[in-house]
Amino acid sequence: MIKNTKEIKGKDFDVTRSADEVRNLSFKNHICIGCGICESTCPVGAIDLGDVATNARAKVDVYFSGHDKIAQNINEPVDLQKVNVNEDKCVLCGMCSGLCPVDALVLTIDGVPIAEIDEYPSYNVYTIIDDDKCLLCQKCQNACPREAITIKRQLPNRVDLVTGEIEVNEEECINCGVCSELCPAEAIVVDPTTGQESIVIDKDKCVYCLVCKKVCPVNAIKAVCRSCSYGEYDLDPELAKVKGSAIIEDALCVRCGWCEGVCPADAVEVKKPFEGTLVVDQDKCGTCGACVDLCPCNALAFPISEGPGSRMEHVIASEEYCIKCGACANICPNEAITVTRTAIDNTPINSITWNKAFDALKN
Amino acid sequence: MPKHIASGLKYLAAVRLKDEGKSQQYIADQLDIDRSTVSHYFNGRNLKWNSIDVAKTITELSPADFLAMVKAVFEDADMARKIVLICKENNYDAMIKESCIGCGLCVNLCFMKAIKLDSLHAQIDSICCCGCYICKEECPTNSIKILEIEND
Amino acid sequence: MELKVNQDNCLGCGVCVIACPVNASISPENAGGNGAKTTEVVMMVENGFIKLFSPDKCEECGTCQMFCPVEAIWLE
Repeated sequence: MIKNTKEIKGKDFDVTRSADEVRNLSFKNHICIGCGICESTCPVGAIDLGDVATNARAKVDVYFSGHDKIAQNINEPVDLQKVNVNEDKCVLCGMCSGLCPVDALVLTIDGVPIAEIDEYPSYNVYTIIDDDKCLLCQKCQNACPREAITIKRQLPNRVDLVTGEIEVNEEECINCGVCSELCPAEAIVVDPTTGQESIVIDKDKCVYCLVCKKVCPVNAIKAVCRSCSYGEYDLDPELAKVKGSAIIEDALCVRCGWCEGVCPADAVEVKKPFEGTLVVDQDKCGTCGACVDLCPCNALAFPISEGPGSRMEHVIASEEYCIKCGACANICPNEAITVTRTAIDNTPINSITWNKAFDALKN
Repeated sequence: MPKHIASGLKYLAAVRLKDEGKSQQYIADQLDIDRSTVSHYFNGRNLKWNSIDVAKTITELSPADFLAMVKAVFEDADMARKIVLICKENNYDAMIKESCIGCGLCVNLCFMKAIKLDSLHAQIDSICCCGCYICKEECPTNSIKILEIEND
Repeated sequence: MELKVNQDNCLGCGVCVIACPVNASISPENAGGNGAKTTEVVMMVENGFIKLFSPDKCEECGTCQMFCPVEAIWLE
């Protein structure tokens, strides 16, 4: 009889069935968002959702949404496993893999992930940053709750952007050092020591602000404006461009849309897997913050007080950045959160059971 | 001894094929034996009768046990499949219910290679089914139905 | 996962009783810091020490553990 094997690597694991074909289900704990879709989907009940709430809260760097005073109570941060698969029950059908919104569970058949096999369904999702439109401002990188975006940029040389240069007439200079003290770019070094006075201007640092020229008591600094003397000769606009590119780590991306939301240049396009609603019942909410800590999208937050005596909502929810994964609704101790999925965008499939599994995600 | 049982099974297969009106050359090619051996078989020579008796007993076992015995006796899996197909006592009508999730467990389990996955739904070739019910027993969603058809 | 307490560590401060969102839903007057009016809550301070009354109601959000200054209540 064919038996599954399980290989555990830290918080990750692989379940493998080797026969004529090799099926392998791999789990990556750091990608998992703890939504529990796999647990409710598994047709053979082989998946258990772990302690996702305590897990999310154990990460000291995001502790209780940044409340340092509470973080101090945690001496030993624990990183628990979010999902476990019982290898004796698992039949490696791949339903968890097909329905996992973030590819934390991936089934491969003979080494090929099922997302690349036409017969299997996958979500129609993407995050694209248009390099032509991107200003490389790094706003998306800072907003990304999963640290999935890296903007690599090379700045132009400052010298290429400066419109002129200064020269000092050392005969006239009295080495008073006033220009050096005022220079915002620290481009002037003056040695006032009697007998070995000197003044040196670092033209790579100078930004041609002319503060030195204006302040010089003996008018020893001469300015040469490049624009005036050479026209546009020296100012090649190509040299003034910031160059670089945006890199998205697809495995970590949850398609929350923060990057799209903060982009000032409309360079980002995000397609989410689900459409639906996220509603918080403020009366039921006990403000424990488990949802805030768990949400992979930073779509839930505590409001900032407007001042003493102001009455705020318990938790504010942003539907715009929510992916309707349902992790918050799953762990809320007071059932104060309702996540509804009304539409799912996945590639078409013929299998009736698989279609039913997708339909079951709607509610 | 296993070799004798294998010969006995081949003898039974040869007789079955002959009853189906197949030529001796065809039978020899199918069972990977000399044509002269086939001829000897039909003349009742070169084979001990008790090998044939043992072989007969094996074919009369439950389909799962029959399959297990044939698998054990023949090293060559293709030959084992051929023998099971020719010597099986019954024919089967197999179908997969809609509840199939396409996990492929049955495909991996079926020694007869009778099952294939098509669009995440298993398909059983009834002609190749040996009735061992291993797939049916292991199916996680109880989606396999196999009916026995009496062989007349 | 199970809610556990260690009375030897407990200071009886009652922060966990107030912080627990399940307690708050069962007995809203908890929030005032005067304790619950019912023993139906998950935990309460009794005679200066924390005591579990209905640990089965615990939803394992981990809030009590976060607030406890002395590791006297935790999920395990």
